[in-house]
Amino acid sequence: MRRAIDDAEAVDRAVGGDLDAYGVLVARYTLRAHRAAFLLGAGEDSDDVVQEAFVKAFRHLSRFRVGEPFGPWLLRIVTNETKNLTRSRRRRAALALRLPSAESSGTAAAGPADELLAAEQRAQLVAAVSALPHTERQVLVCRYFLDLSEAETAQVLEWPLGSVKSRTSRALNRLRGQLVPREQNQVLDG
Amino acid sequence: MADRTEWQRAVEPQLRALGREIEVPPASDLTAVVRQRLEGHAGRRRRVPALRAGALRRRPVWRAALVVGVAVLAVLVATPQGRAVISHVLRFAGIELRQAPGPVRSPGSSASLPGERQMSLEEARRQVSFPILVPAALGRPGEVVVSDGGRVASLVYSRTPYGKVLIDEFAGHLDPILFQKFVHFGDVTPVEVNGTKGLWIKGPHLLMYVTRDGVPATASARLTKGNTLIWGTRQVALRLEGKLGQRTALSIADSAH
Repeated sequence: MRRAIDDAEAVDRAVGGDLDAYGVLVARYTLRAHRAAFLLGAGEDSDDVVQEAFVKAFRHLSRFRVGEPFGPWLLRIVTNETKNLTRSRRRRAALALRLPSAESSGTAAAGPADELLAAEQRAQLVAAVSALPHTERQVLVCRYFLDLSEAETAQVLEWPLGSVKSRTSRALNRLRGQLVPREQNQVLDG
Repeated sequence: MADRTEWQRAVEPQLRALGREIEVPPASDLTAVVRQRLEGHAGRRRRVPALRAGALRRRPVWRAALVVGVAVLAVLVATPQGRAVISHVLRFAGIELRQAPGPVRSPGSSASLPGERQMSLEEARRQVSFPILVPAALGRPGEVVVSDGGRVASLVYSRTPYGKVLIDEFAGHLDPILFQKFVHFGDVTPVEVNGTKGLWIKGPHLLMYVTRDGVPATASARLTKGNTLIWGTRQVALRLEGKLGQRTALSIADSAH
């Protein structure tokens, strides 16, 4: 019964004050919102941020345009709440990114040496993303870790589309600058 | 700068893949507290009792996927508590094991799964999409319960030589996570059941059902009794719980078909 209702209908009913319908949206988007809050810097306060975002989103539902996707709209509120939080903390939390260290699939797939190598490369990439300046990290988190389009990222971060593009590009360049020196036989440009 | 875009194109899929792997601490189930705040007074921010959910959903792949220990790669702001909560996660057969103190159970917990319906074994077999295995060692169950619209089938044996024995069966190889267990990893031992992998969990621990939306059903939280064996076949995952020794549990599991 709960499953049958889609986002648009849930929003529609929630605008009319139907808290059950809104509960469906809360259940459906909690994990996504929490993940976004965490990756955007809310850290251990992510639950509080998401709770606040859901309450605010409900109160602002009347501003929600019919047919607009709910996800990015909610994530924009989550992002703002995260900003409020980091402002009140007076400092930005370093982004704590972790990868699972050991993962064994019962069947032996790639050789252990390959796995180790791949794991090391991923670790380097994670470390490089963590070390980026705040805005550049934000844009990479949105574009790649949350898998949002450029337009959605613009909406979520409240930036012009052009800034999303240029900052993505700048962030990727900086990543490369951090990674390339470690690669062998790489022809460095400029 | 000539190959900049090429490099960018190459790194983009890597970043996406990385995003799917990064560990995010568990999210709380907020449905109740958000509703409370919306129903009530202009409500202040209130902290939810820490009922934790598995936040990061892994690809629904059948395997003995074991994430034991987590590399801390970047600077950390997490408190020691926060760190304890997220430092150990292990996923196996649709069950997520967390080495964590576990949530505080809400007093209103009914300790039952959502939408429990008791029925005959035959009827249950029509209601679920996976084969229900019955251990020959225990015979026909005294009671069969199907929950959450056919997502879990439970066989209840009220009177066995070992006391009450419960077997939950579910499509753990398809659904990402159906149960969360808060355990001490020192109590978990890998075992072999019918040639496939299983896990033996010694002693009681907190068990919680996770809904299709990936949110733990707080009302389902309960302490397990005795010991637990979890294992899977290609079609179904099973959770056997009761005051049994490991050898007995394994022989019961071996007889399930």
